Amino acid sequence: MEESSAKFRRLHPLTFVHYIFLAIVGFAFTLFSSPDESGGLYITILVFAILYTLILGPYAIAQYIRFRYHVTCEELIIHYGVFKRVQRNIPSERIQNVRIERNMLSRILGTSSVKIETAGSSGAEGVLSYVGVREAERIRNLLRNAIVSEDQARFSMPLKRVLLSSIYQFSLGIFGILIGTFYSLESLKIIDSTVIANWLMEQNFLIATGTERWPLLIAILLLIISVLGWGLGFIENLVRFYNFQIQLGPKKIHRKFGLLTLREGTLSYKRVQSFLIRSNPLMRLHHWHRLDMQTLGLESGERGFQPAMPFAKWSEITTLARRIHRFILPDTYTHVSRLTLRRHIFRYCLLILIFAIVLSLLWDPFTLWGLCLIPVTWGTAKLQYTCHHWSFHDGHLLIRRRFISQQFWIVPVERFQAFEIKASPFQRYLGLCTLIVDTAGAGILRYPRIIDMKRDDAEQLLLRLQKSSDSIRISVN
Amino acid sequence: MKVLDQSVRHVWRIKGALAWGIFLPVSVTTDVVLLSSGSNSAIPGMWTVILLILCLLWVLILPGLRYRFWRYELREKDLYAVRGIWNRIQTVVPLRRIQHLDVKQDLIEDQFGIARLVVHTAGTRSTDLVIPGLPYDEAVHLRDTVREFLEQYMD
Repeated sequence: MEESSAKFRRLHPLTFVHYIFLAIVGFAFTLFSSPDESGGLYITILVFAILYTLILGPYAIAQYIRFRYHVTCEELIIHYGVFKRVQRNIPSERIQNVRIERNMLSRILGTSSVKIETAGSSGAEGVLSYVGVREAERIRNLLRNAIVSEDQARFSMPLKRVLLSSIYQFSLGIFGILIGTFYSLESLKIIDSTVIANWLMEQNFLIATGTERWPLLIAILLLIISVLGWGLGFIENLVRFYNFQIQLGPKKIHRKFGLLTLREGTLSYKRVQSFLIRSNPLMRLHHWHRLDMQTLGLESGERGFQPAMPFAKWSEITTLARRIHRFILPDTYTHVSRLTLRRHIFRYCLLILIFAIVLSLLWDPFTLWGLCLIPVTWGTAKLQYTCHHWSFHDGHLLIRRRFISQQFWIVPVERFQAFEIKASPFQRYLGLCTLIVDTAGAGILRYPRIIDMKRDDAEQLLLRLQKSSDSIRISVN
Repeated sequence: MKVLDQSVRHVWRIKGALAWGIFLPVSVTTDVVLLSSGSNSAIPGMWTVILLILCLLWVLILPGLRYRFWRYELREKDLYAVRGIWNRIQTVVPLRRIQHLDVKQDLIEDQFGIARLVVHTAGTRSTDLVIPGLPYDEAVHLRDTVREFLEQYMD
């Protein structure tokens, strides 16, 4: 008994520093959001003091003392629980992914958080927060359970490429940041919205000068937002994909990336459901693309899509993706029905009409000039049509669609879960429909679909997909 | 293609009435308060009228339409369902992709002797294919047939 318990290890003692840091953040947050009356501050401090000395502090210590783990090649055993003792055994063959995460504080302290994901759970089933850096690597190497061969396929992004890729990024998160900053500054009484509104009125920007100055104001605002959005996109991309590395082992994919939070993870080939190659017009102009793997685990930060190659040439992408899952790209693709043009034009015109009329009634008749955009709808519709085509080739469904944020899907037949044919009233009027292929863990908004196929074509393709999916033996795991 | 049990319309009607009826006291109170405070901004009784229209829509019109467009069929290798008033949706779930099946019945459905068959797959979009308004025996029969298929398939 003594001998077996000696093998068990405790978490890193610096775990307490993490707890304290969290407590400070929580305290600061409560302090800022607490009521402004003179007594409010003291009450908050008092409540926190009582809460921490009597409840949370002792609980954290008890939790730390009770938490023990033991790792072997076969399994991970965790003992934990303050009021109820729990022993959890996770066999290594069930482990799908071992992630090592290091946030800013971890990197300063030299600790890591190890998260173990299994096939059965959507989140991490075992979390070791926090252990030493070397200890984390030891755990991962023990659990990886796969001998890494010498001739692995590798892909890494040197700093130059990460910087280059960041240039192509744009983030709309700037709106959130602007609004959030505004509200917090207002709540801290640093700025006053009524003062700003009055100032704007006095400057006669919006109302008095009418139609003369507000288009200029909007143009300047758009310019500022796009520059900020680009800047934020640049930083976001740099921070996320700094020192990106991917290695393909015989059965598993190992990845490592990140500047502030270092993410390290292993996932098995079996978990990859489909590939998604994305690009925008500027990236395509210079032959750059991004490869994502749609995986079964629903990791909220990745929205079910794991980056495999954040920025690479087409040939690099296909070479790496083929090592994960073999596929052949067809020479020709089939376009969707030309009637899609009508539906797109109708949709865009309707949107412009509604916006122009509502804005002109509510605000300024000048907005009726927006109707000039109607001829542009044909061009936009044509672009969407030329960018949307599909092919079912060599047991893979390949779909390309959209012009601006283009998606190219590669879905292997053995990953098909269910099929759907959907038709809106206008599609029914034109004899069109949308074919949707469902895969495990697909995104709610981003999923493979062919929009505006002819009804007969869709039904024929559906039969082909079903037939080919039936002929494949599914491995039951 | 099979149609649903006719009584499912009554179930939908009751559920629609309950769903909107809950708000009726709130809307009546709002209108009375607005009226008594002498506010001129709203049309008298506006909220109650809007709610009654929604109620009528959900009780009188939608259940009939939903019923009319619902069809399902258990075919040799898949389960096929067609539904939708506005967007017409055809779903094909290959039987061997089904993870598990539930037969569900709530209090109202119990009164009419009908049940729902909930089909779970690993997929994201079709995880919640629900075939409503099946006579209880039919739902159980469907479930057992699919189970037999899966057992044979696993062997």
